[in-house]
Amino acid sequence: MKHYDLIVIGAGSAGIAAALKAHDAGITSILILEKDKEMGGILQQCIHSGFGVEMFKEDLTGPEYAERYIEKMQQVGLEFRTNSLVTELHEDRTLVYTNPKEGYVEVQGKAIILTMGCFERTPGQINLYGDRPAGIMTAGTAQSFLNKDGFLVGKRIFILGSGDIGLIMARRMTLEGAEVLGVAELNPYSSGLARNIVQCLDDFDIPLYLSHTVIQVQGASRLESVVIAEVDDQKQPIPGTEKTFEIDTLLLSVGLIPDRHLTSQAGIKLHPRTGGPIVNNRYETNVAGIFAAGNGLHVHDLVDWVSLEGERAGESAARYVLGELTDAELITTEPGPGIIYVVPHYVLKQVDEDVRFYFRVDNVYKNVNVNIYKDDELLKTLKKNVMVPAEMEMIKVANKDMLDASRVRIEVEVL
Amino acid sequence: MYDVIIIGSGVVGALHARELSKYPLNILVLEKNNDVSMEATLANSAVVHSGHDPKPGSLKAKFNVLGNRMYRQLSKELHVPLLESGGLVVATSPEEELVLEELFVRAGINGLLDEEYKMLTREEALRIEPNLSDQVTKALSLPTTAVTFPWEMAIAGLENAINNGAQVLLNHEVTDISRSDNGFVVHAGGDLFETKTIINSAGMYSAHISEMLHPKFFTITPRRGEYFVTDNRFPIVQTVVYPAPGKKGKGILATPMVHGNTLLGPTSNFAAFDAQHKTTPEGLKEVRDNITKTIKHVPFDKIIRSFAGSRPTADVGDFIIEETSPGFINLGGIESPGLTAAPAIAKYVVEELIIPRFSVRPKQDFDPIRRERVKMQELSIKERNEHIQEDAKYGHIVCRCETVTEAEILDAIHRPVGARSMVGTKLRTRAGAGRCQGAFCSLEVLKILSNELQIDPIEVEYKHKGSFVLAAKTKEAQ
Repeated sequence: MKHYDLIVIGAGSAGIAAALKAHDAGITSILILEKDKEMGGILQQCIHSGFGVEMFKEDLTGPEYAERYIEKMQQVGLEFRTNSLVTELHEDRTLVYTNPKEGYVEVQGKAIILTMGCFERTPGQINLYGDRPAGIMTAGTAQSFLNKDGFLVGKRIFILGSGDIGLIMARRMTLEGAEVLGVAELNPYSSGLARNIVQCLDDFDIPLYLSHTVIQVQGASRLESVVIAEVDDQKQPIPGTEKTFEIDTLLLSVGLIPDRHLTSQAGIKLHPRTGGPIVNNRYETNVAGIFAAGNGLHVHDLVDWVSLEGERAGESAARYVLGELTDAELITTEPGPGIIYVVPHYVLKQVDEDVRFYFRVDNVYKNVNVNIYKDDELLKTLKKNVMVPAEMEMIKVANKDMLDASRVRIEVEVL
Repeated sequence: MYDVIIIGSGVVGALHARELSKYPLNILVLEKNNDVSMEATLANSAVVHSGHDPKPGSLKAKFNVLGNRMYRQLSKELHVPLLESGGLVVATSPEEELVLEELFVRAGINGLLDEEYKMLTREEALRIEPNLSDQVTKALSLPTTAVTFPWEMAIAGLENAINNGAQVLLNHEVTDISRSDNGFVVHAGGDLFETKTIINSAGMYSAHISEMLHPKFFTITPRRGEYFVTDNRFPIVQTVVYPAPGKKGKGILATPMVHGNTLLGPTSNFAAFDAQHKTTPEGLKEVRDNITKTIKHVPFDKIIRSFAGSRPTADVGDFIIEETSPGFINLGGIESPGLTAAPAIAKYVVEELIIPRFSVRPKQDFDPIRRERVKMQELSIKERNEHIQEDAKYGHIVCRCETVTEAEILDAIHRPVGARSMVGTKLRTRAGAGRCQGAFCSLEVLKILSNELQIDPIEVEYKHKGSFVLAAKTKEAQ
């Protein structure tokens, strides 16, 4: 069995950034495994722009953003395998990957970083009532058909869910000559970024139906129509508010879930809210030497933040391999009122770099304070004019300020 | 001139074709859809029932008990998975305990052997199924209850029949039948076929087919059953859990599936013909509300799919298995326990009704074995690498969730009655059946189908005839 200092699973934006950073930190025995035929992950099908504004101060397309990292990887000479799916991962950091050339291969890493991204909630996971015809799929599936091979999956489209991929596809399919009749969102607020609502819906006069859902799909072979209705506070359809749309395609953009198919075998504990592994401020999971970052840890809005998180996981993994990490007691981080989740879930009680807490709010808030408490003592306050669930927030806290705490809590205070 | 034409390629028609292919006869199966077994066989509970439930003396009771006893050998010969899970009918009240006692008596009358049914206390039942609800007081244990993959049973039967000389024609809807000097002329898909005998196993359409030759003597009404499917990484039950039966049949079951998922359902509600496959808020609520009566810890957040199946229910209250005019065998109302009964019905119909009309003996060279599919996911790493060394396409994983390889998909396409659509490929290989439900592999599966079938990608169908996946190609793609 071959051994590496570090094995990175997934060569998307988090994985490449992690590997490069670990290399910078002095690790040279690195293997990157990518299941797809090329590196770059989901960026390769995101041909729209809006990537890299933070990392490169430029407005790049997904493939352009990926290319910057892939080029760097090649300059440095990192070892990688494409078409290589990891099928097993164990607590002792051995794993099995497979590709057509080598077959199934077992390798071991001193450290492993999980950067496997996420996948979309599927039509089966939400309650769609009625038929099961062709023409119902996730927005990302339609995106791969269109952007990878130039196939248009439909001509009259309705979109359920206002996630960013759905919004991007509303614009993309309109530009390809399809007619997008509307977007229905169950919540009274959008799940996508404000800029995408403006640039992908408003600019094309595509209506957004907030507090609406699809209550009926109809079509014996190909989809023929959907009925949508307004929902009440309990998210139940309100009789009399039904609207019918004659369409051939229903795209779903109803949420993303971290890919965690390798975690249970390795004994990695998952968080019920994020769906990804539970990590400390070094992005280390409960299994020593296994780290996680990116959309496989928790779903991000911006690729730049994914790369940054990958870098931090890469740096931690390098320090782990070099024997620079020591154990310490843990401080628990807790989402207080108004907060859905906080990542990292634990902070080590030792002098280290400042900690960046990532979190999302559970509703739309205006004029609020975000308060960070160390046990019951207010540690820091951040004033915010507007907060929305669609936008991940970050707050930086000096590590030395938390060392005497047992819990750190973040909450929203409505002023 | 055919000796036998079988109308309909569900599990009943398929197993008749296979049984007939043991003899030197010309056999043709006519199927109206673009793939086999796309109706009742595709969407049902998949349970091989013990025979405890049907009314004593009925054809349902007789063929259920006989069919159950044939399944083990059939599964082995055709390489179809069979989960020998056993079953428990559970009572949650004194009234239901009485129903259980009635069933106990009925099981004996129906011919179950002493070791095939047993009354259990709550404690004994919990040892078999730890996830029974707290209300369960008693259970009737039915150890011969098993779970199969009905769709694969049907296609495996057809593949085996084809390898033994039978023919199957898809996209051939029977539009008319008339008598001729030697038998019948069947009009299907624009073609004419002459045959000496006909087996009408058209399921939901069996009354319609019968009326092409006979005055109406039975009607079929779709009885819809709605289900949830849960994620196969979180099994809920190890055994089939039935509630005490009520007016609406066997009730809402929890069934462990052969691929690890759990099936919750079905409901039982008559539906209009065009609404038989629609899921409804009321139906799925009925499943949700009733399932917690018999089992606990139901993970409603681990549901990956809901669907509606449909039973061809006859107004006569039993199976119709009858030579209604010379050479014409009507199989009507083969609803639950039809899946279990199918091999026994086929044996009876072939041996008692068909073969006496032809003075033929069984073929010496009949091969009962269907070539096993390579299921890479179920093999050891060493075995997988042996396959990859032989053919690198076994190393190319198309569906990552279920680790289905290109070689497995190609085999599914090129077998007898091979895959012709996205759903057909999924049913045969599980490509697209996993957690992402095809989001990452459907583009590649579509391209493989287009390539192997030598059709334009635009022509690749999702499931039924005309259910095209794509609407157009962009300029760059043209």
